[in-house]
Amino acid sequence: MPASEAIEQPQGGASSVSYQGATKRYGNTSAPAVDHLDLEVEAGEICVLVGPSGCGKTTSMRMVNRMIELSEGDILIGGESVKKRDAAKLRREIGYVIQQVGLFPHRTIAQNIATVPQLLDWDKERIRARTTELLDLVGLDPDLADRFPVQLSGGQQQRVGVARALAVDPPVMLMDEPFGAIDPINRERLQNEFLRLQAEIRKTILFVTHDIDEAIKMGDRIAIMKQHGRVEQYATPSEILMSPANEFVEDFVGADRALKRLSLLRVGDIDLWKAPNARPGQSTAEVRAELDAPDVEVPYALLVDADERPQGWLSRRDLAGDTVPATADAPLGPVLETGDVMRDALADLLQGESMYAAVVDHQGRIAGILSVEIISEFLASPVAKTEEQSAVERPVEHPVDSPHD
Amino acid sequence: MISALSALPTAAVGEVGEGFLKHRTGETLPCQAHTSHLFCWDWATEHINRFGTPALQQFELVVISVLIGFAIAFAFALFAHRYRPLQWPLLAGTGVLFAIPSIAFFLLLLPITGRGRETAIIALSAYTLQIIYRNVMQGLGNVPESAKDAARGMGFTQRQILWKVELPLAVPEIVGGLRIATVSTMAIATLAVFAHAGGLGTQIYAGGNEVFPTAIIIAGGIAILMALGIDAVLLTVQRFATPWRRAAAEAA
Amino acid sequence: MTAALLTHPLFAGFTGAFEFIFSKQESDVTGGKKVGGIEQVLELAWTQIELSVLALLLAMLIAIPAGLYFGHRGKGELIAVGIGNAGRAIPELAAIALVATVIGVGFPGLVFVLALLGVPPILTNTFVGVRQVDHATVDASRGLGLTEFQVIRKVELPLAVPSIMTGIRGATVNIVATATIAPLAGVLTLGDFILGENVYGVNGVLAGAICTAILALLFEFALAGLQRRLTSKGLRLQQAQ
Repeated sequence: MPASEAIEQPQGGASSVSYQGATKRYGNTSAPAVDHLDLEVEAGEICVLVGPSGCGKTTSMRMVNRMIELSEGDILIGGESVKKRDAAKLRREIGYVIQQVGLFPHRTIAQNIATVPQLLDWDKERIRARTTELLDLVGLDPDLADRFPVQLSGGQQQRVGVARALAVDPPVMLMDEPFGAIDPINRERLQNEFLRLQAEIRKTILFVTHDIDEAIKMGDRIAIMKQHGRVEQYATPSEILMSPANEFVEDFVGADRALKRLSLLRVGDIDLWKAPNARPGQSTAEVRAELDAPDVEVPYALLVDADERPQGWLSRRDLAGDTVPATADAPLGPVLETGDVMRDALADLLQGESMYAAVVDHQGRIAGILSVEIISEFLASPVAKTEEQSAVERPVEHPVDSPHD
Repeated sequence: MISALSALPTAAVGEVGEGFLKHRTGETLPCQAHTSHLFCWDWATEHINRFGTPALQQFELVVISVLIGFAIAFAFALFAHRYRPLQWPLLAGTGVLFAIPSIAFFLLLLPITGRGRETAIIALSAYTLQIIYRNVMQGLGNVPESAKDAARGMGFTQRQILWKVELPLAVPEIVGGLRIATVSTMAIATLAVFAHAGGLGTQIYAGGNEVFPTAIIIAGGIAILMALGIDAVLLTVQRFATPWRRAAAEAA
Repeated sequence: MTAALLTHPLFAGFTGAFEFIFSKQESDVTGGKKVGGIEQVLELAWTQIELSVLALLLAMLIAIPAGLYFGHRGKGELIAVGIGNAGRAIPELAAIALVATVIGVGFPGLVFVLALLGVPPILTNTFVGVRQVDHATVDASRGLGLTEFQVIRKVELPLAVPSIMTGIRGATVNIVATATIAPLAGVLTLGDFILGENVYGVNGVLAGAICTAILALLFEFALAGLQRRLTSKGLRLQQAQ
């Protein structure tokens, strides 16, 4: 394909982004806004730039699509310098999502999404098809296509913003606090949905936020900046949480580092304890023998049904007779699933006021027992059963509920 | 009735129609040779006094008209602020009055109020209505919802909110409207000569065909100066009435 | 009842004027000479329309690009608003009289002067209209890859339409009103009836006033309709909130 054509129509997929000594100076101030930034973002990764206000994260991001021009140094996208291209043309190949969304109030949703395709002279049919595809991708009702931005909620508007940015399938996306102006409940929903989307489309994304929790949740790698765009630490979320590079990073991450690590884990990732299982009609002598075994992890028996689904905890009185009764004395308490995020599981556990919680797999069968002790033991040890990654990246066993806005 | 009207003395203030054809003495002649004399300083300094009364007449006309116009338009705006359905009709109605050229307005009133100051004032007031109405509405509309909400939550009545929260915050726009209205009306009031209401137009319009650059420039100049003068005064009043804006500007 | 209403002294004054508009009358002032009638009315009205429309177009040609450019760059606020303020203060009568004596009578000269009178409101409103466009929208449009020119054309201009149209309507009021007194500069418009009482009589004066008012209102309605058509539906919805 001729080089010019390749440049005009983005080829989809993802490109790497490479900062090489990127610097931005304003006027004669001695300290630059961004000071010789060197950063490598691999194709298909979400790189989060996070730090306090004024640290240079937004400036750094905006240098990629030349909304802010480099004073020194260079930025390469897919190996090619951004300075080589005409700025407007360059930007048509980079997705751009900002906090206030910036939809055109005088054009319909469909027309908003069609902005860059129209700039690239796509034919009407192709645009229409792509628009429908995108609305579905971001979870919007296709009927909204002919509405105007003012008629949509904030969350819906930002979904349109994302759709608009993805219209021509750009290899790189820039997102500047995209969910910042949205209420916390919808923000979480949007974050989850976006991560799911990313799992499908796998774009290279530069994501700016001031919220460390969002950074940990969204990022494959996080660059923590303090000022002048200098990177204090650039690593995966779990590395940053386990081994902060310096005091600034430690403070920025927050004193609850340990708890934050729990957001990166699922219940099924660690070794769970086992409790003796008892079926109705089983001989209580067997069960008591198991309970009395010296290596028993949980000193209580769990009543399960024929399909190994937990029904309740058996008390001494339950086991007084010859056979295990059909119903247990003590209620089950909180039931967790192996797919649950550990942080939420801990919350449920603490709320349930019991020491142990039954954990089931996605079919409801007992998988093990979780206790606070297990969790703290795990945190103390440096190695986990599986490598800690962003919890959503790994295949989810069953989908999380999420109605549209 | 028409003949009766025609018989009315045409000059309430005496100088209309006399123009410069009649005042062509040896002093004015050279200055009327406009090809060589765009502006006669000599004539200007000697005859500056003749502009005094007309200027005063015009000033009075403008001030009275704007005050009346403000009173009416402000009342309209308060009603429209309360009752939304009134907004469009009032805007359209004042718009009609605004669009009609003043000179036509003056003479439309001929069978009703004849010629004279009343006619001029009615027409000029009508002209200011839309400007002021629109600005007051905009000012009220720009009051942050949060301020009104907080006031309501603290137990203010609707009326108290209006007078203690909304109107004070709308002052810059309201005064802005007054400034625009005053400057525009001052310019238009030069036409009051056609309503036989005096004003600086008397020094410009001769009733014949010969007019006189120096006099025109002086008359026009005085009108402009008066307009900008009142504008500056009103601006100062506004700054004075909105101390919180000064503080914000200083803090910025 | 209508007959009784029409013969009320208030309206009696106007019947003479209406007769003047529609049929040639023997002027009761100059004696014997026929004046008025629908032909003359339409002729003068047409001159006024021509004069006003040409002046308005010229004013728009000057003021809108300038307003767009400076508004887009964000510079020159003092000048744009200052010209607006100063322009408002110019007395039309003085302007016309000066044209008549200095530039001399003539249609082109008058078009130019009227256009100058119309520039300030259009310039100021265009400038302000562009400046008031939400910065986030402009930033997003740039980020999507629109060139500066495209940003002005596709985003800033449509969103500034209400403000620009308001400026145009204000300028039109000014221009039409000044065109009314164009006869002072030798170009005969409907104002000639108003100014020439000694030729057309009181009926003529009233007729002139009525026709001028109607003409001005026609312009106003036309522009109001145009504004409605040019304002995007999305904008209208937004304004309604």
